[in-house]
Amino acid sequence: MLRIAGHLFMALSAVVLALPIVVVAASALNSGRTMLFPPEDPTLDRFWEFFVTETVWTTALLNSMIIAVGAAVLAVVLAWPLAYVLWSSGSKASKTLAALGSMPFALPPIVFGVGLGFFWAFLGALGTIAAGIISHGILFLALPLVTISIGLQSIDRANIEAAATMGATEAMIFRTVILPQTLPYTISGFFFALVLSFNEFIVMFFVSASAYATVTLQIFNSLRNGYTPTMAVGAITFITVSVLVFSAVARWGDLPRLMGADQSKT
Amino acid sequence: MTTIDDTAFAAPPARSRPNWASGTNLILMAIGAVLIVFCIVPFGLVIAISFGQKIEGAAWEWAFTFENYQRFFVGAEWPDTVTFLYLQRLGYALWYAVIASVLAVATALPFTYLMTRLSRAAQARWLVFLLASLSLSEVFIVMGWDILLSNRSGLPALFKATGLTDWLKDVGWFDVLREWGLANPRNVKFKPSQFATILTMSYLVWPYAVILLYPALSRLDTSLIEAARTMGARPFTVARTVILPSVRLPVIGSTFLLFVFLLGTYVAITVFANPAQHTTAVSIYESVRGASLNAPFGATQAVILLITAAVFLGLGQALNRASGGAR
Repeated sequence: MLRIAGHLFMALSAVVLALPIVVVAASALNSGRTMLFPPEDPTLDRFWEFFVTETVWTTALLNSMIIAVGAAVLAVVLAWPLAYVLWSSGSKASKTLAALGSMPFALPPIVFGVGLGFFWAFLGALGTIAAGIISHGILFLALPLVTISIGLQSIDRANIEAAATMGATEAMIFRTVILPQTLPYTISGFFFALVLSFNEFIVMFFVSASAYATVTLQIFNSLRNGYTPTMAVGAITFITVSVLVFSAVARWGDLPRLMGADQSKT
Repeated sequence: MTTIDDTAFAAPPARSRPNWASGTNLILMAIGAVLIVFCIVPFGLVIAISFGQKIEGAAWEWAFTFENYQRFFVGAEWPDTVTFLYLQRLGYALWYAVIASVLAVATALPFTYLMTRLSRAAQARWLVFLLASLSLSEVFIVMGWDILLSNRSGLPALFKATGLTDWLKDVGWFDVLREWGLANPRNVKFKPSQFATILTMSYLVWPYAVILLYPALSRLDTSLIEAARTMGARPFTVARTVILPSVRLPVIGSTFLLFVFLLGTYVAITVFANPAQHTTAVSIYESVRGASLNAPFGATQAVILLITAAVFLGLGQALNRASGGAR
C-alpha cells in the first residue's frame, strides 16, 4: 500500500517536473505566430527558422555557444590547479582560495551581476563577449572545483606510494596516475559549467549591457512582445543539449557518486 | 570522504623536485590574484558605489553619503514623509523565498528518499532528468508556466473545457478562489498572483533541493530502518524517529541555501507577481538598467540584499554547528 503510494508520488513528481517542459516543447510545433497548447496545425518550420533563417536567433545561439565553451574551459583551467593544491597540500591558503572561488556561486547572482556590470564598465569592456566569457568562467568555477576535488579524493593513495617507491618522479605520477583517474571528473565539471552557462540569465543580462544577446537574453527580450513558437525551439534545443550532456556524464562517469551517493552501495 | 580520511596518507607525495613545488606555488599565486580581482572587486565596487550620488540627468559620481541607505529604509523625503516602499519590497523577497524554499524541500525530501531506495542505474536515470531540469534556464521555466497558467491556453482553458469551472461555481468554492484573487467572474485565473509566483519559484529550486538532499539520504544507514521495522515500528514512526532526525542538518542547510538563492529571483517575479508586490531584485534592475537610472541606489539595494543573504547563510551555518556539536 505504502509502496504504491511511493511510486505514485514519484510519478506525480516526474509529471509536474516535466509539465512546463512538455508544454514549451509542444508549442514549438505551432504553425501560426501564437503559442497555443495543444499546438495548431503542427509543423517543424520553426526549427528551420531558429537554426538557419532568422539571424537574430542564429547569432544568439552562436554567442551562447562561444560564451559557454569559453567559460567552461576557463573554469576548468582555473579550478584544476586549485583543486590539485587543495588535495595535495590542504594548506590554509588553498582552502581560502577555494572558498573565495565558490563565493559568487553561493550568493544571489543578481548582486554578482550588478557588481560585474560596474567592474566591466570601469575597464571599458562592458558588452564584450570576452567579458561575458570571463564572468561566467568565474561564476561557474565552483562546479569543476567540486567535481575535480571528488575525483582527486577517489584516487587510492597506495597507487601513488607504489609509483613513488618504484622511482617515478612527481611529474610522471601526475601524468600516469593522477591525470587518467581524474579525467572523467574533469570532463563532468567542464560539462556542468557548460550547461549552466548556456542557461544562465541574470549575470549575462547585466554584463552584456544589451550589446549582444545570448539565447536566454533574446528570449527574455522577446518576452515583452509575447511568445513566438520559434522561442520554444530554443527551449527544446537547450533541454536536449542538457539531457545529452548529463546522459554522457552518467554513461562514462559515475553520476550518483558525483552527486555524493555512498560509494559502497552498488 | 570515505577512503582518504586516513591521516597517515594525507601528507603530500614526496617532493622529489623542488622547482616543481615552487612552480605550483607560482600558479597558486596567479590564480589567487585572478580570484581576488574577479570575486572580490565586483562586490567591493557594489559596496563603494552604494555610497555614491546620482547626478540629475546624467550618470553618478563618487561620494560618501548615506542618502541611498536612508532612502531604502525610510524614503528620500524623510523626515517630512516616511515611506517603507523598499523595505516592503525586501519583505516580499523574503516572503516568496521562504515559502518557495520550504515548499521545495518539504516535497523533495520524500521524493529523494524514495529515489535513493532505487537501483543505482535507476538513480542515474533520475539524476539525468533532474540535472537537465535543474540547468534549464529560469527564462524557459517561466515561459512554460506562463503558457500553462495563462488565461487563453493552459489550465484555465482546461478548467473551462472540462466543466471544472462550473463545478467549482456549483459547490461554491469559486467564490473562495475569487476572494484569493485566483478567479475573475468568468473563470479561474492564475496570474498575476502570489500562487503562480511561489509555484514557479518552488519549481525552480526543486531539482536543487533533491540534489542537495541526495548525499545525506543515500548514505542513510539502512540497517537502522530495517531494525526499527523488524521491531514492529510503523513506516510513519520510522520516518519520524529514524529518518527525519538523521537528515535534520542537511534539510535545514538546504532550505537556507535555496532561500538565499531565491532572494534574487528576477524573471519569475516580473512575469507572475503583481507590480505592487515586486521584490528588491526587480527594484535593483530598475535602478541600474531600467527607467530610473540611479546606479548608486541600485548598488545600495544590492548591498542590502547581499547582507540579508550573508546573514541567513551565516545563521544556517551557526544552526548547523550548534546542533552538530550537540550530537
